[in-house]
Amino acid sequence: MPDTHTIIQVLIAALIGGIIGLDRTALGQFMISQPVVAGPLTGWLMGDVTAGLVIGGTLELIWVLDMPIGTFVPADSTVAAVAATAIAALGSTTPGQLPVIGFCLLLTVAMVPVTMFSDHLMRQRNAQIPELAMTSSGQPTEASVTFWHLGGMVAFFLKAFLLCLALVPAGLILVSGFLALPDAIHRAMSLFITFLPLLGAASVARKLSMNTLDRTLLIGFAIGAVSVQLFHVPELAAIILAAGGGWMGMRFHGA
Amino acid sequence: MAHNAASIRTIDLLGVFWRSFFIQASWSYDRLQSLGFAFALIPILRRLYPDRDEFAGRLAVHMEYFNTQPYLASFVLGAAARAEEDRATGRNTAADVEELKKTLMAPLGALGDSFFWGSLKPFAASAAVAVLLTGAWWAPLLFLVLYNIVHVGLRLSLVFVGYETEGDVVILMSRYNFTRLARRYKVLSLAIIGCIVGTLTAWGPEFRTDLSVSPPLLAAAGLALTLGMIVLIRVGASPVKIMIGLAAACLILALGGFA
Repeated sequence: MPDTHTIIQVLIAALIGGIIGLDRTALGQFMISQPVVAGPLTGWLMGDVTAGLVIGGTLELIWVLDMPIGTFVPADSTVAAVAATAIAALGSTTPGQLPVIGFCLLLTVAMVPVTMFSDHLMRQRNAQIPELAMTSSGQPTEASVTFWHLGGMVAFFLKAFLLCLALVPAGLILVSGFLALPDAIHRAMSLFITFLPLLGAASVARKLSMNTLDRTLLIGFAIGAVSVQLFHVPELAAIILAAGGGWMGMRFHGA
Repeated sequence: MAHNAASIRTIDLLGVFWRSFFIQASWSYDRLQSLGFAFALIPILRRLYPDRDEFAGRLAVHMEYFNTQPYLASFVLGAAARAEEDRATGRNTAADVEELKKTLMAPLGALGDSFFWGSLKPFAASAAVAVLLTGAWWAPLLFLVLYNIVHVGLRLSLVFVGYETEGDVVILMSRYNFTRLARRYKVLSLAIIGCIVGTLTAWGPEFRTDLSVSPPLLAAAGLALTLGMIVLIRVGASPVKIMIGLAAACLILALGGFA
């Protein structure tokens, strides 16, 4: 039986998911809902910033080019980032426990179809809203349009809130089982974290370039590797150098 | 039709700009952004049509099917405001307003998707993740700043550009060369992504591997693995499937005593 503290924490996580989830489609789209922001923000609010940074940063690159074009609704990376971070924060024995964070990242794979299905259902239900905005005279009024249109945000909030409310406890049960597994499996999940940024890099590079051996990608790699390993340049400076290298290449080739 | 209708003020367009942030509040498969478009245009319709029935009639017209990229909808909103103003003063017809929206939404949708989702967002994300991997806590703030300076700035200016140009896409394209900008963001993103892989040995402790391999070899292995995954995605493997495969590979390495 979960204690009151855990129940309150799960409710807080669901609230965070619901509020941040509004930014994904319904309100503003300032990109607070992107994993690289939603993860660290959730981690900070739940007391485990490391989990949020690792999960958010990792999921960001993997999902960033899954675009909402036309009527296509991509997997909800916001709910995945918030739920995975909350599970890691609440399920770890100490903050920043890498094996648990790695396991939570793996759990996001199972969240993809659930979030897509619920998004699909909610948007189908929203189709009724324009009819509801018509008054008995058959014409809309400013008040009816405002009420029903902004009321649509409630559906978006509830979708993310309820998803987090279901996914976080389910994840916590799985994490408690994971903690009892042998140490080798824990080491595997720590190693898993190391590889995921490379998957994110591959995912972005594939969508941005038609070439596997893209020239700019290789220039960025060479500048990063040489400056850090040979000249011991700080990593932030290496990023600026690589961006500068890409810029110079672009100017040279007249892009 | 009121031929002596009031003209639109800057404050009315600012009202449209504010409401444009809610344009997808009731997004649905059938009407997409239709209700959001009508909602955003209320300050204009309220100003131009003091008669309740005419206001309701124009509001109903704007509740018809509408869908475009949500940020570039600002341009269409500005153009529709101008068209409504012209209609209210007798310089335009109702059919012109609807035609204008239909003409603009598809090309602006394609343009906006390519620019915002396909180039600006990956650029801001690549830069933020590259910084995050070094252990900097402020990486999410960097993402928000890089993205929203362009996003909010454009959203605001496009309402006014749409109004001034009467929805002229040629002027829009000459003022903001979205295609060239998109190409530049993509190039910068690719360079930063390459740098992420190249600096693998200097990532923060959470992401650093315990594998006992020399740094140059590790960076080369990282590049080879990245290129391998690009090939896998190219032949149809989804990132989700690759994630599962990576987890399985890590399990084998750990059970084999390599990690």
